[in-house]
Amino acid sequence: MLVTKLELLHFRNHQKNEVEWAPHLNVITGPNGAGKTSLIDAIHYLCMSRSFVSTSDMYVIHQGESYFMLKGNFQGEIRSEFEVSCTFSRGDGKKIFVNDGPLDRLSDLIGMVPVVVLSPDDKKLTLEGPAERRSFLDSFISQISSVYLRDLLDYRKIRKQRNTLLQNYSNAPHMLEMYLEPWDNQLVETGSRIIAKRYEVLEKFKEYLAKDYAMISGMNLTTGLKYQTFCEPSINSKDIEERYRVALKENHEKELEREQTLIGPHRDEVVFYLGDFELRRFGSQGQHRLFALSLKLAQLHYYSDELDDLPIFMLDDVFGDLDFPKTEILLKALQHHEGQTFITAANPIPFENYVHFDGERNRFFKVEDSVIVESLNR
Amino acid sequence: MQITSEYLERAIEQLSKLPGTGRKSAQRIAIHLLKQNDEYALKLANAIVDLKNKVTRCSVCGNVSDSDPCKICENQKRENGQVCVVEEFNDVYIIEKTNEFRGRYHVLGGVISPMDNIGPDQLRIKDLLTRVGGDEQITEVILALNPDAEGEATSYYINKLLLPYEVKVTRIAYGIPMGTELEFIDEATLSRAFTSRSAF
Ligand SMILES: [Zn+2]
Repeated sequence: MLVTKLELLHFRNHQKNEVEWAPHLNVITGPNGAGKTSLIDAIHYLCMSRSFVSTSDMYVIHQGESYFMLKGNFQGEIRSEFEVSCTFSRGDGKKIFVNDGPLDRLSDLIGMVPVVVLSPDDKKLTLEGPAERRSFLDSFISQISSVYLRDLLDYRKIRKQRNTLLQNYSNAPHMLEMYLEPWDNQLVETGSRIIAKRYEVLEKFKEYLAKDYAMISGMNLTTGLKYQTFCEPSINSKDIEERYRVALKENHEKELEREQTLIGPHRDEVVFYLGDFELRRFGSQGQHRLFALSLKLAQLHYYSDELDDLPIFMLDDVFGDLDFPKTEILLKALQHHEGQTFITAANPIPFENYVHFDGERNRFFKVEDSVIVESLNR
Repeated sequence: MQITSEYLERAIEQLSKLPGTGRKSAQRIAIHLLKQNDEYALKLANAIVDLKNKVTRCSVCGNVSDSDPCKICENQKRENGQVCVVEEFNDVYIIEKTNEFRGRYHVLGGVISPMDNIGPDQLRIKDLLTRVGGDEQITEVILALNPDAEGEATSYYINKLLLPYEVKVTRIAYGIPMGTELEFIDEATLSRAFTSRSAF
């Protein structure tokens, strides 16, 4: 999948801008705060209906304005050419259009243009708590399975409804039991499907991760990962359902006490290993960095094998942290990757040496004070 | 800003409370109304007052109606055996437009949603049981609620309550919208349609 053209209006530090992108490598350089990241964040917004930098849409609006608008032209294998546009304003909220037709649900956008982002924020993936890994996993699988995404949204709602019941009827156990049953039934079915899918994807993902870590680190320390949920996982959701019902019954008293849903995929964890050691507890800073990098490269390669369209790959400000040999390895890997790639960096030197920017297949942009200039013939 | 007409301001304020109407649209509507003749304004005002005063709910099925019981419940030509359970009265309109269903309805007035403080007691579920146990000779209850989490929970709950009664409980199948080409259907809908497929 390619984005061929992007238009921005009042988006982050861009008042009004328009860029045409190369089908392979796009390198965007410039000083910090010039608006490099905003450009790829805009593309991300059109793929995922949200920013990968800011958690609130309010902060995405250009200072002093009341709304923003983005428009992107995309080109893929299955859907040949289409346009995605998005508007957000304080009053009317977010609206997304595909070929001028409004989307009923924002979630319908996810997966249309698969995207993988490498950013300095990735260090949270291995260093911080399980919620970071769950959200990586959820965004990973949602882009390749709309069934999973819908299950995820349903599960969240079912759990909220169920928690409300646990809070309101904790001192009327008979009423509670009667009212819980319809939700428990859905909780088990939806939750089991989520677990089965996570397990299935992670089993395959393992191989990709091991390969990419070996490539980027140049070492033969093998990586591992273990999916942890409240019962023994399976790729068949029907197997999980039975275990789920038993666990739910066993935890009933505790749930009454704590007044919330205590078991289910919302408490899952993925543990990463390097050799025999748990990365989170024993990994060095360098190992963490390379592991996070490998997670995203593995996501890229997994998508590339699994999907009809190659994903859009974004590397935001990651080259500054890499030493020369790693930079070289990563750039070689990118040259090999056939899909469209976006790189933002403060320092242009490594790219000038490694990539032939012909203005067609590969383009080199300089951004200063949100003015975009293309440099040719490097 | 200096307001030159309190009346205009009042109309805008009321109009902007309508669903999907922001202040800007409310201004447009108010100015449009101002340009109409007196007769139209009076008709509109009366329609709103009548809507509030004269439309009631049918005490049998819960549908909106000008009379009680409503025309569907009163109609002797309709079949007594089947009752179609829907969430709101607009669902009755949608099903009626198909001309497929000749039985009667039961409007719940919502679906179970603890977060919104809606439990079975806030809905017309007890009335449904009374009808099924009464002398309407109901043989089949068709659940036609939305296939979302709340609709599912409500269907499950009603089905359970109906177990002791001698009545068949069915639900409408999850399907694919007619006239839609397969490639335009999202994967999740298609997957549900597959799991609820029926014999040819
Ligand atoms: Zn009626």
